[in-house]
Amino acid sequence: MHQPKLKSKVRCADREVGEITRVIVDPLSHEVSHIVVGGNGVGGAERQVPVSEVQSVADGLVQLRTASSALAQFPPLKREDYVTIHEVEIAHLEDHLHVESGEVLVPLPTLERNVPRRTFFMNLTHAIGTLVALPLAFPVLKYLMKPMYSPFDNAWLKVGNVNRIKTEDVGIQFKYKKKVKEAFMPETDVDKNVWLLKASPDVLEEVYKGKDMEFRDQAGRLVWTNKKDVPYVVFSGKCPHLGCGYKWRKVPKLGKEIFLCPCHLSIYEPSGKVLDGPAPRPLDTLPIRVDAGGNVEIIDMEFKAGTKAQTRIV
Amino acid sequence: MSSQPNVLEKVIAFVDERVGLKTLQAKMLNEPVPGGSRWAYIFGSVLLFVFIMQAVTGILLMFYYVPSADHAYASTQYIIHEVDYGWFLLSYHFWGSSAMVVMVFAHMSQVFLWGAYKSPREMIWLVGLALFGIVMGFGFTGYLLPWDQRAYWATTVGVEIMDKTPIVGDFMARFLKGGATPGQMTLSRFFVIHVMILPAALMGLAGLHIFLFRKAGPAGPFRGTPEELKAKTDYFFPRQIWKDMVAMGAVFATICSLAFIEPVVLLEEATPDPGEYHPEPEWYFLFLFQLLRLKIFSGEFGQFLGAIAIPGAFMALLAALPFIDRSPERNIFKRPVALIGWIVVMATILIFTVSAIINREFLD
Repeated sequence: MHQPKLKSKVRCADREVGEITRVIVDPLSHEVSHIVVGGNGVGGAERQVPVSEVQSVADGLVQLRTASSALAQFPPLKREDYVTIHEVEIAHLEDHLHVESGEVLVPLPTLERNVPRRTFFMNLTHAIGTLVALPLAFPVLKYLMKPMYSPFDNAWLKVGNVNRIKTEDVGIQFKYKKKVKEAFMPETDVDKNVWLLKASPDVLEEVYKGKDMEFRDQAGRLVWTNKKDVPYVVFSGKCPHLGCGYKWRKVPKLGKEIFLCPCHLSIYEPSGKVLDGPAPRPLDTLPIRVDAGGNVEIIDMEFKAGTKAQTRIV
Repeated sequence: MSSQPNVLEKVIAFVDERVGLKTLQAKMLNEPVPGGSRWAYIFGSVLLFVFIMQAVTGILLMFYYVPSADHAYASTQYIIHEVDYGWFLLSYHFWGSSAMVVMVFAHMSQVFLWGAYKSPREMIWLVGLALFGIVMGFGFTGYLLPWDQRAYWATTVGVEIMDKTPIVGDFMARFLKGGATPGQMTLSRFFVIHVMILPAALMGLAGLHIFLFRKAGPAGPFRGTPEELKAKTDYFFPRQIWKDMVAMGAVFATICSLAFIEPVVLLEEATPDPGEYHPEPEWYFLFLFQLLRLKIFSGEFGQFLGAIAIPGAFMALLAALPFIDRSPERNIFKRPVALIGWIVVMATILIFTVSAIINREFLD
């Protein structure tokens, strides 16, 4: 059945009684639940008639099952119990309402009556938008990428003297300052640290596995070679798991001293080998040179954390 | 003559005629809530409130804060120790971020348990997931700004985790850090993301979220016949707004109390030497932090699994949820998989968070 339209004439079983002055919609089902009938036949008051009483809906005429004498049984409309659909937000309510008869039209302006031209202008808009955005993409990307890749610094830095080390195979932290000049910032001293070890022959063997260790720059040129018979080993202070700073700790449970990273609990032997925890590779050995007076110099290198292979990033 | 409008009424009528305020207000307030208002529905409104307060306190902090590696720490200390009520505004902003995360979890749980992500509300859920990501992004980027040790190390580890993303990871990590290691460029980038990009994204997406919500209408309770729901239906105003306001008041009081009881105290200024500090992320990332300590997530592949694949798969599952779970049944007691799934996820997060806290003792 069609929805009863506003202003339709309303006929009871016996005679015409008036017209539909309003319709009432169910907010949950979105269906018309009542029609409000007004006119001479209903005796002044507007009556609220459930749609179940509607027998048929024809063009401009709604036929009720009820006799006109029985209309008085329906309650009069109490307007204050309702709000208009403009004052309430019920999703998709208006999509379901077809209570106006016919269509309400607005003329299309003369200039807009050529549909293909509208499509052309739409495409032109997109084209101009693309023309604006496209040439910007590369410069903006380069602009943002400026500081991302910088050359490696292979300078030697003094970190201290080996006379601090009394015992073999014990990790000793050496703190040092590194001069850093970042972009427009003034040059600053940044606190850094490495772990130094006077290695016993066993540990030394485990670090070098019988081979000298070579360090290369970005172009692949040899920068330095750590000789396998120099008993001092230096480890980058950065945990190869996810980059935290690890410590030298006595672990009662293991009964020995080890390197422990407090972040994700990676544990390394004095040789840097992973003993336990999530680390993917041993501690990173750095280039070291020790002069006759015991002064230690290193090249400050950093490697990407979390990878099995050692990839230098600083 | 009493029927003559006074000046105020004339002004209101003038504005209303041009803006349509009365219709707008009616539309905003007269939204039927099927089955009636409930305390369970407060979380979305509370989130909006907490966000607005974060924006207000955040703007106030920017009056003194300087986002540069040599001034960020000093300016934050100045806010805490010198500026009148600076400690309070900073601590409010700090605890507000925690409140934001708690409320996001509560809001998502409510929507999940009530089955409110189902058709026709899939888009609301998807936009909501994006908003969840933005809230986490706020927490992560904001954490660096005070430039103390806590900030530095949380960022160092967090960006290393992103670096584990296959193919684009290295680029993403360098792009965020503005170099190979955290420094001034990282601070500048995190600052811009925190105060410009994320707020703009959040405002846009929250607008879309609410628009889509209004378009679909509230889902209502998961039980009850249409007649029962209709009988209990009320409008958004006044009963639901009243409940929302009470909740906002309670959240506001809680954040203020936390700011008083536990005001923000900075650690040493950021430096690549951690000293005696044991790095740890903010509490809502602790479970992920603890997860990465597990043996099964060791090694290069294990790390990818724990840091990227599993969280990524979980988010993908959440995004796919309304499209996988197409049954119209919304009653959580008739959706055993969903109920058990929710309990398992919550229990896992709880267990890992607690074990991360217990692990602290082992380190001292």
